[in-house]
Amino acid sequence: MRLVAVDALAARAGLAPDQNLSDARALVPNLEAREIDHAFLEQVFADFADWHSYASPIVSVLADKAPYGDLCLDITGVAHLFGDEEKLLATVTGRLEALGFSVMGAIAPSVGAAWALAHFDQSRVLGGGEVEEALGPLPIGALRLSEAQINGLMQMGLKRVGQLYGRDRKGLQARFGASLIQRLDQALGHIEERLTPRIPVAERFAERRFAEPIGLIDDVLMTAHDLAIQLSLRLEAEGLGAQSFHLFLYRVDHKVMNLSVNAARATRDASHIARLFGNRAERLVAEYDPGFGIDMIRLAATSTSPLESAQIGAFETRDGAADLDQLYDRMTSRLGPLAVVRSKFVNTHIPERAVKLEPVVARTADDPEAAPDPRQPRPLRLLPAPEPISVTAEVPDGPPAGMIWRRVGYRFVKASGPERIGAEWWRPDYDLDIPPPPQIPELPVSNRDEEVAQPSGFSERKPVTSRDYYVAEDDGGRRFWLFREGLYGEGAAPRWFLHGFFS
Amino acid sequence: MLGIKHEQMEALRAQIAQIEKRPVLAEGASLVRQEGEPGLLCAPGGLLHEVFTDERRNCGAALGFALAQARGLMSPERPAILFVQLMREAQDMGLPYGVGLKSFGIDPDSVVLTRVENITEFLWAIEEAVGCRAVAAVVADISSTPKALDFTASRRLSLRVQAAGTSVFLTRYGVGREASAARLRWRVSPSLSGAVPFDARAPGGPRWRVELEKGRLSAAQRAGTDFLLDWTENGFVVVDSSTEGTPALAERAPSPRAVPPALGDRLPQAS
Repeated sequence: MRLVAVDALAARAGLAPDQNLSDARALVPNLEAREIDHAFLEQVFADFADWHSYASPIVSVLADKAPYGDLCLDITGVAHLFGDEEKLLATVTGRLEALGFSVMGAIAPSVGAAWALAHFDQSRVLGGGEVEEALGPLPIGALRLSEAQINGLMQMGLKRVGQLYGRDRKGLQARFGASLIQRLDQALGHIEERLTPRIPVAERFAERRFAEPIGLIDDVLMTAHDLAIQLSLRLEAEGLGAQSFHLFLYRVDHKVMNLSVNAARATRDASHIARLFGNRAERLVAEYDPGFGIDMIRLAATSTSPLESAQIGAFETRDGAADLDQLYDRMTSRLGPLAVVRSKFVNTHIPERAVKLEPVVARTADDPEAAPDPRQPRPLRLLPAPEPISVTAEVPDGPPAGMIWRRVGYRFVKASGPERIGAEWWRPDYDLDIPPPPQIPELPVSNRDEEVAQPSGFSERKPVTSRDYYVAEDDGGRRFWLFREGLYGEGAAPRWFLHGFFS
Repeated sequence: MLGIKHEQMEALRAQIAQIEKRPVLAEGASLVRQEGEPGLLCAPGGLLHEVFTDERRNCGAALGFALAQARGLMSPERPAILFVQLMREAQDMGLPYGVGLKSFGIDPDSVVLTRVENITEFLWAIEEAVGCRAVAAVVADISSTPKALDFTASRRLSLRVQAAGTSVFLTRYGVGREASAARLRWRVSPSLSGAVPFDARAPGGPRWRVELEKGRLSAAQRAGTDFLLDWTENGFVVVDSSTEGTPALAERAPSPRAVPPALGDRLPQAS
């Protein structure tokens, strides 16, 4: 077992990373050693990285050489907020050092150059034309290469980056791989390297910093309302409306909380946005944890689209559709994204798939070919998962004469059918599997669920390829939609299920 | 006689309103309609209805009746119907099926399903929907009798509903009746359907026995009357039980072996 990191006291005692643990224990008898938890560290570092979006909206963790430890911020257009670039670097590294981290930072025109300077040079700010000169004297490891490449280059005597400058690129590529050339070009700025930001970037946002951290959710919502007004003025000036709004709460202990709401149609109505956030906050009242306080709140708008100014005044026409969309927004923000749904027809005969429930807020276009056939009877209420029943019916395709459902017997006096629905042979997995009952967390598993659970891929049962649907009416006037899975005479007795209720 | 009483009631109401300094209670006025108006069973908007049915297995009939009434309230300014149900009851009672709605006569695009976790959200969703001016009716399906749905809650709901003009149909199950502030209370039971041409044994269209337990729709229809209703493309049709013969029950000749069963509406294969 090797040491991965040592603190200052241990370093003074002569310990260093990559030393054997037993050797280290021999040197320092009362050594306290803890096992490193990589996943935890990555997660914590990632959260920490999110907090850095106070400085710039594009923050990412550079995982090239290590899963944590390298933080990269794109500061295009942000530097002036802190004074100049030197001051920005000083602020960011200063805050980190105040927290007790040892940090090296650098600002450069390209990601590669900044990495190289931060790891192998001092903290400095590099201007546009100085990159080649600054990178020259750095060791070859500054180009983020793999171990094999570095060893190979050292053996050939290429120990500094400057030595690579004039060389034959094709030869280098053949010997060491294309990534060497790519890294060199990225460092020098010839190829662009893109950062994938952890938090999606929003061009339009309004933010507010607090002199003293706040904690109550009501204060947060009040601030959100003010920010919504500012943001809506900005959107109005540009003639845009947005469909997604994100509220970032930057905590004092370097974590960020994120609330998002979506609107069905582009809006910039500040009170509507504030109300959506109010509803959303009600939904997460249990998870809201401001820690030691929140010192900055940012409201960002994404998915913008042009929105004309609404005509208000004497000739205003009430648009019912806009009211409905606002209602759906409010309900979705309080109840959850999958709670408010509409039926969308899908081009298939299989009844439980013929209608798909999609959120009203995220409407997709209707498929014109998917309109259902009006000739065939369909029930008003459909069970999400068909329930198994036992039925007495005449063989081979007689309609049901009686059934037992939920332990109650029914006698049918009228029936019509069968309507045969076959499996879709054009699909590779063509089988009419019965869908399992919907998983509700608080519902205890009842006997019913166990009966319905189907072992898929069970080799004894042949795949079901057809269902015969019947409409049956019992002596009380209740009309049911039942089906028989498969045909009689094909091996095991076919099973009957209840699928829906007619009105 | 009735007119004089009506005027006296109006005068009393105006007096009370003056005392209470609130606008005249508009509750009683608009509901009593003239005799012989068409749409005899469609109440005006802005009312809280309770649609009871005895057993949970009659859920199709209850929803059908509620939707039929709701369809009568739809208009170009109020194009939407909202259906609210607890998520855990979806497997018990079934969800409204888009294709079935279409054959029932309602455009599935105008029906939005809301599935909530608990009774608080249920009531909140109904109130939010009622507040929107573009919703024609809210059909709320609840199979248990939770404590939160008591007289106070229904009173609050009925006041909101009146102010907004959106109707709410609460479909409930069971025989017990609690005090509630709903203006109209219906009791729906499924009934054997009428005959279908060319197939004596096929089930016909929706037919229900509907009893108005509480409230009045018009001068002649007071509480306690019941109807046998058919739902057709033209809306409600009252079935005259004297002319309509009851379908023959339980008269099934033993089927001879050689002949295939007489039942079977030989619909074409799913194409």
